[in-house]
Amino acid sequence: MQEVAQGNLDMLRPLFNRHHKHLYNFVLKMCGDSMLSEDITQDVFYKILKYRASYNNGKFVSWMFTIARNSIATHFKSNKERHADLEQVEHQLANKQIEEKQDYSDLQRALNRLDPSDRELVILNRYQGIKYEEIALITDSTPGAVKTKMSRALKKLKALYFQN
Amino acid sequence: MKQVAITVVFLAFALTTKAQDYTKSLSGIEWVKIESKADIVVKTHNSQELLIKNRSSYDEPERAKGLRLLGEGGSDNTEVGFYVIKEGNTLLVKNLRKSDYAEIYLPSSQNVAVTSTWNGDIEISGFTAEIEANAQLNGGIRIKDVAGPVTANVLNGELEVLFTKVNQSSPISLHTTNGVLDVSLPGNTPADLSLGSVNGEIYTNFDLSVPDKNGLRSISSKKVKGAINNGGVSIKLSSTNGNIYLRKQ
Amino acid sequence: MKDKHIITMLPDYLDNQLDPVQKEAVDKHLETCNNCQKELEAYKRLFDAINKEKKEEVPDRLQLNFEAMLEEEKAKTIKVVPITANNNSKTKASLPYMLKIAAGFALLIASFFLGKYQNEQVSNQTLAQMENEQREIRQMAMLSLMENKSASKRIQGVNYIEELAMPNEIIVKALAERMLYDENTNVRLTAVEALGAFTNSKTVVNAFVTALGIEKDPGIQIVIIHTLVQLQEKKAIAPLQKLLEEEETQPFIKAQIESLLPKIS
Repeated sequence: MQEVAQGNLDMLRPLFNRHHKHLYNFVLKMCGDSMLSEDITQDVFYKILKYRASYNNGKFVSWMFTIARNSIATHFKSNKERHADLEQVEHQLANKQIEEKQDYSDLQRALNRLDPSDRELVILNRYQGIKYEEIALITDSTPGAVKTKMSRALKKLKALYFQN
Repeated sequence: MKQVAITVVFLAFALTTKAQDYTKSLSGIEWVKIESKADIVVKTHNSQELLIKNRSSYDEPERAKGLRLLGEGGSDNTEVGFYVIKEGNTLLVKNLRKSDYAEIYLPSSQNVAVTSTWNGDIEISGFTAEIEANAQLNGGIRIKDVAGPVTANVLNGELEVLFTKVNQSSPISLHTTNGVLDVSLPGNTPADLSLGSVNGEIYTNFDLSVPDKNGLRSISSKKVKGAINNGGVSIKLSSTNGNIYLRKQ
Repeated sequence: MKDKHIITMLPDYLDNQLDPVQKEAVDKHLETCNNCQKELEAYKRLFDAINKEKKEEVPDRLQLNFEAMLEEEKAKTIKVVPITANNNSKTKASLPYMLKIAAGFALLIASFFLGKYQNEQVSNQTLAQMENEQREIRQMAMLSLMENKSASKRIQGVNYIEELAMPNEIIVKALAERMLYDENTNVRLTAVEALGAFTNSKTVVNAFVTALGIEKDPGIQIVIIHTLVQLQEKKAIAPLQKLLEEEETQPFIKAQIESLLPKIS
């Protein structure tokens, strides 16, 4: 990424090839809408390219997910009433998805019923294999807090999953 | 005579085997975070690893034989009274003994954050990378032969920092609440200085007489801002009740 | 050890993330505790289910769009080059010609991608939009710096505020978060001072009141107190009185509060 920041734009290609699938899957798990996930994935790489100069030598993946979170948040903010709470909107969306699509797996259904911040942790850690420290960087928290939150989120997920 | 020599050799051998230092590789470590209640000295060496000197002066109670020292947040996993654990790209180094002085060595290019949580003084020297230091209660901090960025905070003790050079990459921020703040900079350092003490005095031999024009923003009446050597990295020295001394070297 | 405590360690246990001491404790506990064995089994099944879940295939479109985007960005970069040569007097004569080529080249690429790539065209951007973008970049850099691991870098991020004349709500909130929750005292102090310039915002004043209730560092407390007293903020009265009652509050802080409290109540 360092090279991209310095103007060698072609170096973004390998980064895109390596990470865009993870990113797409992360967004998809978060919002459940494949068209939207496509747009957001696209948007994230557009921003990476545009703001390459502000890249500060951190881990590329953390930076990418940080931008993705902002994009998701911005998307929901600009599309719904201006002052609706993001968490609430996401929750509504998750519920809507449950009603509309019956072909969801039990697991996805359980996942959708977690609140968004818990869901995000589980997806980042369990699906994307991202470590607590990096999640802490991405969500602007501390590794300790992430760890505690994660263990609670997993407990909830486990309860929801085995309810069915 | 021969017997004496043998005894000396034997004694030396016995001492070295007893005084085992602890080392750990630092590959993949971005920050080393050190926490201690007691005095702590952090120096540099030429090896890419963490070295904690065994404190041979410390007498472990006879009754402690075969037992492991327990401390807040960890137990001794180093044999030298420290708890060391890797958390991602951070290495946590905790001094478990509450009263014994410790010496730690790191490569000079290592980012290091040192916290004294009780009465211990912190001494840091020789680093070229970033330094963060915090004496949360009664300890003082002395940092020398460094190039910054330094972020340091002291509650009741003194904070003394000697720069040999000042990195222009990111800001330096030094604060004391009740103690003296004493800083030395090379005379040719380009910097934007900001000095302020609410109840203390400010002394310097740098040419700094530009008063804070933006008077409303500062709460204290004693705030000085100005550029030296045409301006550069931001250096902020502040104190609540202590005097500030800024020296040209 | 209690079951509850062991249960929270089970996920890390399955991931092999525990240190040897903890692992041993869990092992030992599992030998005898039926309940925890069941819990472990449940986590195992949950994790298996997660691992079995297939990754969704990504549409090829994404890759194509990315390539288009990359080419366009490269074209933009090329376009910029001759303009920066402006300062050099030798190249001045040939400049219009070079610009023409560059513009033509950009146009060619733009029209080529017009059909394929549906994003709004860069060439249509007005000056205002570009300024807006500059601002966005600066804001982005500021936000990202404020989340850096290094305290010095976070301070640098906070200091960026001086370059943004009118910070928006996102920036104000990010600064308030630094002031309230940053683990480093110097970062919190810098954020307090930066926010002190924006006390006409309700968000900022409320953040100051919250900070007064949770900040433990006397050096920061004093700045917060002075700011709120200057604003005659009534909401500060309760937390100030609480500080007066608390034993751990430093004597000089108490003295300050006692002399200042009558000014707002």
